[in-house]
Amino acid sequence: MGCGGRALSKEFQRLGDTNTQRLSALGASSQSKAERIVQSVLVQQNTAGRPMLSRVAEAMYWMSRYVERAEHIARIVLINSNMLIDLGELAPEMQEKQWIGVLRILRLDQRPEVQEFLLADKVAKESRCLLGNSFASFMAVESSKSIIHCVTKARENARSIRENISAEMWETLNTLYWNLTGDDVRYRFEEYPQEMFLSVTMGSMLFQGVADQTLPHAQSWQFTQLAKYLERADMICRIVDTNFDILQSADGSYSAMDTPLRNIQWMGMLRSCCSIEAYQRKHLGDLDPQKLAGFLLLDAESPRNVRYSVNAARTAIAGIAASVHPQQVDQAERILGRLNAQLEYAELKHISGPALTGFLREIQDHLADASIAIENAYFLH
Amino acid sequence: MFDKYKLNGIFDEMFSADLTPRPHYEPVYGQLAGLDQADFERRRRMADLSFRNQGITFTVYSDESGVERIFPFDLVPRIVPAAEWQTIEKGLEQRIIALNMFCHDVYHEQRILREGLVPPELIYSAQMFRREMIHVSVPNDVYIHVCGTDLIRDKDGNYLVLEDNARTPSGVSYVLENRTIMKRVFPGLFESYRVRSIEDYPYNLLQCLKELAQYHSDDPTIVILTPGIFNSAYFEHSFLARQMGVELVEGKDLIVDNNFVYMRTTAGMRRVDVIYRRIDDDFLDPLCFRSDSILGVPGMMNAYRCGNVALANAVGTGVCDDKAVYPYVPEMIKFYLSEEPILNNVHTYKCTDKDDLKYVLEHMSELVVKSTNGSGGYGMLMGFEASPDEIADFARKIKSDPRNFIAQHVVQLSQHPSLIDSHFEGRRIDLRPYILYGKKPVVMAGGLTRVALEKNSLVVNSSQGGGSKDTWVVEDVR
Repeated sequence: MGCGGRALSKEFQRLGDTNTQRLSALGASSQSKAERIVQSVLVQQNTAGRPMLSRVAEAMYWMSRYVERAEHIARIVLINSNMLIDLGELAPEMQEKQWIGVLRILRLDQRPEVQEFLLADKVAKESRCLLGNSFASFMAVESSKSIIHCVTKARENARSIRENISAEMWETLNTLYWNLTGDDVRYRFEEYPQEMFLSVTMGSMLFQGVADQTLPHAQSWQFTQLAKYLERADMICRIVDTNFDILQSADGSYSAMDTPLRNIQWMGMLRSCCSIEAYQRKHLGDLDPQKLAGFLLLDAESPRNVRYSVNAARTAIAGIAASVHPQQVDQAERILGRLNAQLEYAELKHISGPALTGFLREIQDHLADASIAIENAYFLH
Repeated sequence: MFDKYKLNGIFDEMFSADLTPRPHYEPVYGQLAGLDQADFERRRRMADLSFRNQGITFTVYSDESGVERIFPFDLVPRIVPAAEWQTIEKGLEQRIIALNMFCHDVYHEQRILREGLVPPELIYSAQMFRREMIHVSVPNDVYIHVCGTDLIRDKDGNYLVLEDNARTPSGVSYVLENRTIMKRVFPGLFESYRVRSIEDYPYNLLQCLKELAQYHSDDPTIVILTPGIFNSAYFEHSFLARQMGVELVEGKDLIVDNNFVYMRTTAGMRRVDVIYRRIDDDFLDPLCFRSDSILGVPGMMNAYRCGNVALANAVGTGVCDDKAVYPYVPEMIKFYLSEEPILNNVHTYKCTDKDDLKYVLEHMSELVVKSTNGSGGYGMLMGFEASPDEIADFARKIKSDPRNFIAQHVVQLSQHPSLIDSHFEGRRIDLRPYILYGKKPVVMAGGLTRVALEKNSLVVNSSQGGGSKDTWVVEDVR
């Protein structure tokens, strides 16, 4: 009897986009599904808290992840459009590099549709007319990883679990979605990029704040936290990676570049990570590569850096694991706990010079492993 | 704005024959007549925006992309005086009790068939009669836990029952949301009235579902089963789950093991006691009904027959929705309750009856012919506006399969003022009150008033250009 149901469930379509995680496919636990089901039937009678449907947990997770992703894309595109204004005067040849950097951060540089776009020489031309308007709107509207795509996905997930999120969360997200629809949306992104991109970043932050203040801080909230911080840690890694790469490849060493140009670049990186003010206050505007990397990767206090995010994700998964199966050690918790320790006890030499790339790669691999472990443990019952 | 208002020779809810407002409408009329159009328009936009931002939408199937639409909301409230409502309430209670006894009877002793009041062949040929339910006991002998009965008013203002929806009636979320939005955009209108609250509907529904749990435990696991996000009524399923604080599940979230139903949670399998299912019998269990259903749960029917899970509504209530069974409801009321029906049916010609059939075929151009298993305004013929070819075609269909058709005279539905462009015009309306049946029937005070926004149209279905109104049951006007 049960087999039929299980077979049916396999065909269910997940709304999530798990491509990136599948790249490094590591099974979480070799424990078979049947075993897990038997165990959990036994466990279920004494679970104190209210159980949560796997489907709901998954939608909760992806809703939160997509909102966070939309926010990052909006910020990165906006900051880089603004930077082009400054670069246009100082180093026109940097402009194209800059856009390709953005594409790399968003993992779009290898996509066929983007290749076409590049071949058509649009980037080069457009970027020279200062703001690269049409490129920005491309990132917002058309690409398969566009802002609108992310917000739509987030809303689709939210819509399938409306009874599990607060009315205020739904209304915030829904309002954000409707802001990005209509025939004139492309026009609006081209004419008022600042306003449109800001509305997305602010909309995301509003949504997260509303979630914190209206959703009970139980399992479902912890899934949103987990997703948000995993996404954030990953994005910051990508931003740091790409920016250091651009500056390094510019002339072999950071210092070889003109100081103003270099500073613009570093500040752009901080802005892309929403960290400029916090950094300025801590290091009084000393834009030193090692300090920058240290701040964005290892700082314990700023909520916009990798270590903080990993730690927050670890706390969230620990909370989920404790309420679901207190006796077992959760695979994702293990991975994130180890990663957290690694970041906490890292030395500056691990992140300076050529070591940085490897260090970032390692963090990203661990993050991907954690995502897969979460999926196996909670979503694929 | 009422300058050009016409009565069109039918019953008008707001005005009596000499165009003076009826007493219970006086305060509303006074306020609406004093409004200017821009103000009204502003309030309407406010309402539309609220609906959109809250995602109170339904999905239109005919559109390829499955576009979400707002259910058009008409800001002029429909008002029913308490005294009038009392009769409706009594009539609905009487009707649901009789229908429920009928369900129990046809799946057990079948007294009503053996005594010849309802022809057995009619029941056995009903598409929605479920042989699987014969001699299956359901909790508290209640089959129809939620019923939506469509009422209309004829040209003299009498309330008549047009049809019963004893399977999974939808629309109740709009009733609740309409009221919320009405309070937001037109708080002033409520001032002169004492409008009966409808807020307790989700609470009552939850109580009704709790009573179904097998051991009446304090904390049964109750879920709503939805076909999923693409269903046109998905908003309502989610709305009710939110209002009641129960889990909303899809078929793929459930699994049957050893005749118990479980849901898949992050912590493993969790037993389910009561399912308020919003999918039809046909799709409930691919092992028992339609094998191509991917909405249902294999093995559900066995778990249900074992009494390990309760369903609301019970399986097999569709037999009451069959329009060929509908003409017998007054008989049922007399048979089971020994009472006279309080709410009457629309007079109906049964095509299975020889005399009736003869009459129908001779008077096709005056009648409305309905397929007994159609709904949503599909599969019917409006004789008075059909071409001779269409009539001949339908006559052939009736003759070849009389079981499948009934016919009624056209009922001139009552009209109610709606804002059309810049002034008020009369538009046809009906009323769908919702009845819950736990230990005893509870009728929601009001219901969904649907309005045909097309001029002269008699079809109020949302799929065919209908809108809705807030419906007030008011104590005597001060």
